[in-house]
Amino acid sequence: MESDRISVIRVKEVLLVTMPADPDDPTVSALQERVLEAMSGGSTPLGLVLDLSAVDTLDSFFARTVAETAQMVGLMGGRTVIAGMRPSVAITATQLGLRLGNAETVLDVDRALDLLHEPGATR
Amino acid sequence: MNGLAVEGEMVIDSEASIVAVRRAIREATTAMGFGITDVTRIVTAASELARNVFYYARVGSVRWRIVDRAHAVGIELVFEDQGPGIPDVEQALKEGFSTSGGLGMGLPGSRRLTDEMELVSEPGRGTTVIVRKWRR
Repeated sequence: MESDRISVIRVKEVLLVTMPADPDDPTVSALQERVLEAMSGGSTPLGLVLDLSAVDTLDSFFARTVAETAQMVGLMGGRTVIAGMRPSVAITATQLGLRLGNAETVLDVDRALDLLHEPGATR
Repeated sequence: MNGLAVEGEMVIDSEASIVAVRRAIREATTAMGFGITDVTRIVTAASELARNVFYYARVGSVRWRIVDRAHAVGIELVFEDQGPGIPDVEQALKEGFSTSGGLGMGLPGSRRLTDEMELVSEPGRGTTVIVRKWRR
């Protein structure tokens, strides 16, 4: 089952998810379920870091799921940071007209963790 | 084009076949020498159009081939289904219009990501969408 490829790792009060290169729709949907489960377990994490550095196709279904997940994480008091989007994917996503909702974007996972841990980083 | 035979056909009838279409089109466009950004554009458009086929008609197909036109070489993708068809093509090409609960950016977005789009649809008979992208 492809959705087994989604793992949510909790590091220093942050949920880290690395997406596979070319996920099918059930895998993308699994992302949302796994993240929301992890958000509600134990002490609430600061937020979610979504590593898209391996992703080579981001279509409207994938983008909508990411935007919805970011919105849900926001309602639970967390921030969502998208890390590592490839230039070709960013150009295509813009031309397709995709919006990623209230997710913030940074170049890589290191910067995402810095952003979530910086002093005064509350919402 | 250097004797390269890039053509194929695939049935679209599941979520797994949307991924299979993306892989096949990525392979074909990479073999044709498209740059990474154009490969991503074509594959993303193919993903949107394959998903439309599956959502609206449940079953359909895609065919792809190299097209030659005076000093230009490109790829042509033909998505075909015998689904419910599109009653108002003009409206379907507008941003944000959807009858499936989607974002309504599949058709207009795919048109922006490719160089040419032709859409023929007859309610009750099915839909054919043809897109072409020329190699720069």
